[in-house]
Amino acid sequence: MPKSKKEIISMDSISKIYHLGNNVVKALDDVSISIYENDFISIMGPSGSGKSTLMNMIGCLDVPTKGVYKFNNELISEMNDSQLANIRNEKIGFVFQTFNLLPKLTSLKNVEVPLIYSSLGKTKRLQRSEEALSIVGLSDRMDHKPSELSGGQRQRVAIARALVNKPSIILADEPTGNLDSKSGIEILNFFDELHKAGNTLIIVTHEESIARRAKRRVELFDGKIVVDE
Amino acid sequence: MNRIINYLRDAIGGVLFYFGQTKLRTSLTLLGITVGVSSIIAIMTVLATFEKSYSGLVSEMKTNVFYITKDNPIQISFGSGDRNARNKPNITWSEYEQLKRSLTLTKHISATVAEEPSDRTISVGKNELKNRLTSFWGGDGDILSLNKYEIIGGRNISQQDIDNRTRVAMIGYDIKEELFPHSDPVGQTIKIDNLPFEIIGLLAPKGELLGQSMDAMIGIPISTFLQSFGGRHWRRADIMLLLESESMDTIDAATDEAVGVFRAIRKIPPGEENNFYIATNEQLMGTFEEFTGYLTIFIGLVAGISLLVAGIGIANIMLVSLTERIKEIGVRKALGARKIDIFLQFLIEAMLISIIGGIIGIILGLSFGNVIAFFLGQDPVIPFNWVFYSIQICASMGIIFGLYPAIKASNLNPIDSMRYE
Repeated sequence: MPKSKKEIISMDSISKIYHLGNNVVKALDDVSISIYENDFISIMGPSGSGKSTLMNMIGCLDVPTKGVYKFNNELISEMNDSQLANIRNEKIGFVFQTFNLLPKLTSLKNVEVPLIYSSLGKTKRLQRSEEALSIVGLSDRMDHKPSELSGGQRQRVAIARALVNKPSIILADEPTGNLDSKSGIEILNFFDELHKAGNTLIIVTHEESIARRAKRRVELFDGKIVVDE
Repeated sequence: MNRIINYLRDAIGGVLFYFGQTKLRTSLTLLGITVGVSSIIAIMTVLATFEKSYSGLVSEMKTNVFYITKDNPIQISFGSGDRNARNKPNITWSEYEQLKRSLTLTKHISATVAEEPSDRTISVGKNELKNRLTSFWGGDGDILSLNKYEIIGGRNISQQDIDNRTRVAMIGYDIKEELFPHSDPVGQTIKIDNLPFEIIGLLAPKGELLGQSMDAMIGIPISTFLQSFGGRHWRRADIMLLLESESMDTIDAATDEAVGVFRAIRKIPPGEENNFYIATNEQLMGTFEEFTGYLTIFIGLVAGISLLVAGIGIANIMLVSLTERIKEIGVRKALGARKIDIFLQFLIEAMLISIIGGIIGIILGLSFGNVIAFFLGQDPVIPFNWVFYSIQICASMGIIFGLYPAIKASNLNPIDSMRYE
């Protein structure tokens, strides 16, 4: 790992423990990982291995039971709900398997949603949303609703939404899981381009072919990182 | 601050958009609020038109006038009415004459009888007055001036007319227009229930009061009225006394004197209650205000209940909307919405539903109330204070009933919510 790169995420001995009745479930068990600028990481592992929990943790959707999580040197593990929301809003771009677009809003309005939660004026918001949509090549679909778009197009809207706040990292959870293979490859090619453009990408997947595209591979098993190369 | 302004604007836009998508459900919720608010506004509009006419009436009334009657002419008591009313003796002609001789502080005392607008037959030759309810008055020359009628032709009722019980009549302008459209009625003969009366005076038109024309009236001498229409026992028939003090300042002394003298005439022992009713114009106004006060409380209760039901409807629709949008809330949170953002989104929605419902209710209520007022012959009125209260009530209803769904929505966990299908 080239140490000259800036460290974005540093997780030190992170554990997430659930109590289900009398059972204690360790979704994450003493996990440590550092993620640097312009990394392209794949997170793999069988279901139940803790990769979703790790993903939620990185995405500041969840807080660890134990351990220290720093994002750009800010201590995430001690932030309150509102501070976490700000980190999610400004630093992280989410891409989901099921797209998670708001069905009643047009592409443009969907992309605009994260900007609504940051302090940005209406004209700036529109301008940035239009920019983001043109990056994913959907300038001609701005006024379409998700139901009027193909699966690949929907995922591109979601990527535009992830990019619109110029986040430090892009977190993608099985981004091609709901797409046909052609659209899937299209999206993955696009991720390659984003990486080349300097973005930091983390993709959760169980597909070997996707993992091979990433520059760094992290595998989880039983809540522990077993591979990081 | 910029964030909040942006957020409010977007929330309102989003809410309006969302309403467009769920028209039927939202309309049904709106209906509850609309019914509640429109009923308040309609009734308050009607009441306001009456209050307007009433204050017109009040300004017409002289402040140095008081009445002696058998009973309070405005009965408003709910439930326990005045049970003794029927047992009270009539105010009779002879009592009037005794009172008239004894009072010193009263400038003038008039005896009068007014019938409710009745359908006695009124005719001139073969020409009969149809489809018009005419009020009949018995009185003296002062009754007309006390009620601010102006004579535009002929003469007033004189003391001689009263003493001799002459069959003469003063007629209102409506009667002239209908029965003597092209001629001077003064000096002509009019038949009331087949009794001939000579028309001695014509009154200037006065217009309407509380929806009734004040010009469909005929006034005849009180003595003639009692003899001709009072039946066999007319000497015992009930009359009303109008008394006028020298000025407003002496009205209290004049009423006190009148009470004392009338008690003496009736030989009421000290300590016993008056078996008659005496009131000044101002006291009569007070009764009317008391009446509208009761009505307002009653309407408030009815509207309160209907708004409570409507409010529960809002809470319900917000909870339905919440379960439908759990996933959306999760996504919004993942994209950076804070608790307060989601909370405000839901609260603003609830407020908007109820305010929109309220505004529709206000429009309907104003229209409905003014249509009623129109048919009652009143001028249109907008009760601005109630319009203002209604919007306030609706906004607070939105807050109160939207609070629980909004708190529930804001506390949703983003991870679980996004997985919710």
